[in-house]
Amino acid sequence: MPYQSLFGFGQSADIDIVLDGVESRKSADIKTEEGKKERHLLYYDGETVSGKVNVTLKKPGSKLEHQGIKIEFIGQIDLFYDRGNHHEFTSLVKDLARPGELMQNTAYSFEFQNVEKPFESYTGSNVRLRYFLRVTIIRRISDIVKELDIVVHTLSSYPDANNSIKMEVGIEDCLHIEFEYNKSKYHLKDVIVGKIYFLLVRIKIKHMEIAIIKRETTGSGPNSYLENETIAKYEIMDGAPVKGESIPIRVFLAGYDLTPTMRDINKKFSVRYYLNLVLMDDEDRRYFKQQEITLWRKGEKARKVGGAMAQSPTMNMPTHLVSGDHSRREVNVESDADIGNAPGVENMKREIDSPTGVSNSEATVDTSPTVQSPLEGNPPLMSD
Amino acid sequence: MFRSSMMAPQMSPQEEQEKMLDEALGIVKTQAFQMKRSLDGGKLMDGLKNASTMLGELRTSLLSPKSYYELYMAITDELRHLELHLYDEFQKGRKVTDLYELVQYAGNIVPRLYLLITVGLVYIKTNSCLKRDLLRDLVEMCRGVQHPLRGLFLRNYLLQVTRNILPDNPEGPEESEGTVRDAVDFVLMNFAEMNKLWVRMQHQGHSRDKERREREREELKILVGTNLVRLSQLENVNLELYKKLVLPGILEQVVSCRDAIAQEYLMECIIQVFPDEFHLQTLNAFLESCAQLQPGVNVKNVIISLVDRLATFSQRNESSGGIPNDVKLFDIFSEQVASVIQSREDMPPEDMVSLEVSLVNLAHKCYADRVDYVDKVLGCTLNIFEKLNVERVSYESAVSRELMRLMKIPLDQYNNIMTVLKLQQYAPLLEYFDYRGRKSLAAYVITNILENDTLIPTPEQVDTVLTMVASLITDQPDQPHEEEDPEDFAEEQGLVGRLIHHLKSDVPDQQYLILSAARKHLGAGGNRRIKFTLPPIVFQAYQLAYKYKALKDQDDMWEKKCQKIFKFCHQTISALMKAELAELPLRLFLQGALAVGRIQFEDYETVAYEFISQAFSIYEDEISDSKAQLAAMTLMVGTFEQLACLSEENAEPVRTQCTLAASKLLKKPDQCRGVATCCHLFWSGKSITGEERHDGKRVLDCLKKGVRIANQCMDSSIQVQLFVELLNHYLYFYEKGNDQVTVQMLNHLVSKIHEELPNLETNEETEQISKHFSNTLEHLRNRMESPEADGVSYEGLVL
Repeated sequence: MPYQSLFGFGQSADIDIVLDGVESRKSADIKTEEGKKERHLLYYDGETVSGKVNVTLKKPGSKLEHQGIKIEFIGQIDLFYDRGNHHEFTSLVKDLARPGELMQNTAYSFEFQNVEKPFESYTGSNVRLRYFLRVTIIRRISDIVKELDIVVHTLSSYPDANNSIKMEVGIEDCLHIEFEYNKSKYHLKDVIVGKIYFLLVRIKIKHMEIAIIKRETTGSGPNSYLENETIAKYEIMDGAPVKGESIPIRVFLAGYDLTPTMRDINKKFSVRYYLNLVLMDDEDRRYFKQQEITLWRKGEKARKVGGAMAQSPTMNMPTHLVSGDHSRREVNVESDADIGNAPGVENMKREIDSPTGVSNSEATVDTSPTVQSPLEGNPPLMSD
Repeated sequence: MFRSSMMAPQMSPQEEQEKMLDEALGIVKTQAFQMKRSLDGGKLMDGLKNASTMLGELRTSLLSPKSYYELYMAITDELRHLELHLYDEFQKGRKVTDLYELVQYAGNIVPRLYLLITVGLVYIKTNSCLKRDLLRDLVEMCRGVQHPLRGLFLRNYLLQVTRNILPDNPEGPEESEGTVRDAVDFVLMNFAEMNKLWVRMQHQGHSRDKERREREREELKILVGTNLVRLSQLENVNLELYKKLVLPGILEQVVSCRDAIAQEYLMECIIQVFPDEFHLQTLNAFLESCAQLQPGVNVKNVIISLVDRLATFSQRNESSGGIPNDVKLFDIFSEQVASVIQSREDMPPEDMVSLEVSLVNLAHKCYADRVDYVDKVLGCTLNIFEKLNVERVSYESAVSRELMRLMKIPLDQYNNIMTVLKLQQYAPLLEYFDYRGRKSLAAYVITNILENDTLIPTPEQVDTVLTMVASLITDQPDQPHEEEDPEDFAEEQGLVGRLIHHLKSDVPDQQYLILSAARKHLGAGGNRRIKFTLPPIVFQAYQLAYKYKALKDQDDMWEKKCQKIFKFCHQTISALMKAELAELPLRLFLQGALAVGRIQFEDYETVAYEFISQAFSIYEDEISDSKAQLAAMTLMVGTFEQLACLSEENAEPVRTQCTLAASKLLKKPDQCRGVATCCHLFWSGKSITGEERHDGKRVLDCLKKGVRIANQCMDSSIQVQLFVELLNHYLYFYEKGNDQVTVQMLNHLVSKIHEELPNLETNEETEQISKHFSNTLEHLRNRMESPEADGVSYEGLVL
């Protein structure tokens, strides 16, 4: 018998993990390490993960000897530069069968009740956080193993404090602006509403854009890695404004590939988001100011589609319209020199060379020179 | 290859523009085609992507405004398809959820906003509840385009597509559809932003391109102005709303933009697009803003344009009462113009004056009977000059031109100098002109009087008018030293002469005073002028004397008055003599003698004799040229022949003197002709009773003397000529029945002429003489063949 097993002639089995509610449960996309999109069932923190494990013998009528069958629920972080180590932060095990022999196809139910899933599934440039179920049929020589990934979304409730971001920035005697984003914390389908107010303009501005930058940091100390990625570039102004102009900002986030902000996940990595306000001048010099925003995932309400709502005249009402009191602010236009020297003003950064040049750690890496947007690039959002 | 490498660098800027435009239009065509195909195939997202790519062409900075406009037209034309498609879909109930949000994912702002506007329009059209909020959203979001050209066209698109859907309901309870107030807010904001962009064009780029930029701005101004047109088209913008919201909104923007080109254009726009009834009620606001415009703005034109409109309005609505009574149109303008002038220190004086010109026009057109208004304006102009310390306005200057316009208006409008004289400030203002200016206006004044046949009926008014035209009457302190063109001078003085005939009262005593007053002015005119100006005075005086004569039954004093008049004339003519003139006073004296003879007032003979003797002494002392002497002689003989006012005692010396003087002429032919002329004194000269003298003997004496003198002529050509002339004289008296003249005498002369004539050289002169002679013979032949019934006999005449 052992010889049979040794040379592959012995009995073997297929393992199939079927999760409960596979028909009704939502699924979500996640990227693989190679960048391919996969779709898995979606779970939230505290939800029970249960289902069945079907073991199908490959050679009916022949027995399968094993040292026990178990199922694990694993949450782990993989750092791509450290392939050898998996950092498990969750690992639950259930025995499905004691050591013995399987004579026929067998199904086992399992249930991990109210499993804690503290982090969100994530695939980044250098790190991956995944949850999966692993069934192992333990055998003397080679175990039969089957894994099934699930996706976990972490939901947050409305943040308690959600102040607007308001700041005066500038370059002395050159440019002085005040910007305002209506919030500091945005959910993933939120809209950034704000405005830029020009207090002093002595450079020839060509245009202004807002970039959403994702910054992934992994590791710590000398082994830390930093990766910036421009998720979106969004032109908000064309041409050169003059002192006193106020430019509206309205950026819909739902169309972009975003995740919630993750801070120091299991001491292994962080994913943070920044709004980068970039002004470009006549000579293609870029002036920018980065401001961190917090992204969070909002629990989806059960939205009733059709029905009563469809009849309502406001169904197609666009959201986030400008309120109309976008009135000019009273500004003492004569005193811009004072504003330039005002203590509370932060400096903007200026890239010294070309638009893609990287002059300091805060500079952006332009991974995509063209703006990716639903209307110009790949088809949009609309996943569900 | 050779050709293309040669061609490329030589492409002119215009060709480059055309090439770039063609390329862009090509892309538009392709994308529009694909967009329509996608839409027809139900692929909305693809269609939107095509639309976005197409709109991306509008991001260019390389096209001139003209080319950009063409591109814009092509693209917006294609956008209509998208709009119609979406509208149809929406109508069919196939609403696309979140389309308004969806188009906002476009990464570039220009295409994004064009799409947003297009989609927003469809939303509004299918659901008017969204109107107010969406309009507000669109006009706000457009702020993102700060590039002047692209921003202007984007907002123009917004304005164009919303033109039929602006809420135009009366103000009332809040409605989501909005009221006219929302429409006003919307357009005003769009207007303000467009104007800022338009103004900004001025300050971009190199200063050497200023001219080109201003030309481009000129091409684009209509885009900004369209906002105002849209406001004026809102039916529910009533006077109150206009006053409270619309006008203040526009004016605030106009004033604060501090750009001369924009201010001038927009103020003009306001005037043109809004109804006059609104202007009338908002004059103060409008004019106050005028005072705040940039120095470079031609405020004058703006105000003039408004005045012209209101004046026309007033005339058009004359039947319905013209300007409403509660609108103190003139007062408002008057005050505001004053404050505009005061506030704009750098305003050129000519513009100030030209503002006053517009005021006068206004006063005239709206308040034709208010002379005091016009006078007030003239007074203001005086004040301006005083404040500016103007002493003289030089003729070539712009101020002079404007002042001339100002001064001519009352003349042209009233066409009656008498009304102009009511303007107290007219004469003082006139004094500001320099010599040429005053002279030019004086000529204009006189021409006006002449053309309108205005009579000036009192000595005071005569005094004023002549003071007004003093520059033509007397030498002026500021007159240039060099001589004027004699023809021009004569023409001017001719005008003055004609003017004198318009200084006229129906009351003779008054007329006398008028002439005296005029004489005083004209007498100071100097030798060059009086020869033009005094003769009409003299003739007027003679006319006056005739008038007294005609009215002698009503005026006991008429004879004394006539004496006075002739004394006046004597003095006046003597003034001409002092000016070393001869023929002219001679003629005037002779004319005076004739007048005296006809009027025959008390002691007239003495007066007539004096006039005649004056004429004689001029003849003797002052006329030395022989031709002139003969001419004067002929005149005198003609006068004396007519004169019937001298007793024999005085008449005989006159006749004798004449004959004597004639025979003393220097040249023989002159003597001959003079003596022959004197014959008439003795034949048809009148006695005091008016009878002709018919002294045949003395006539013959003269004729014989003539023949004698002719015989003494050396030049045979002239001699024959004189014989022919004498023959005619003989013939005349023969036919008149002077029995002292005989056929033999005629025969003698005829044969003498026959004898001499062939000896003359053949030339033009001879030909004339023989023609004269043959005509004379022809006459005689006629008479002989068909004698008149009671005519004399020609028996024995040998031709």
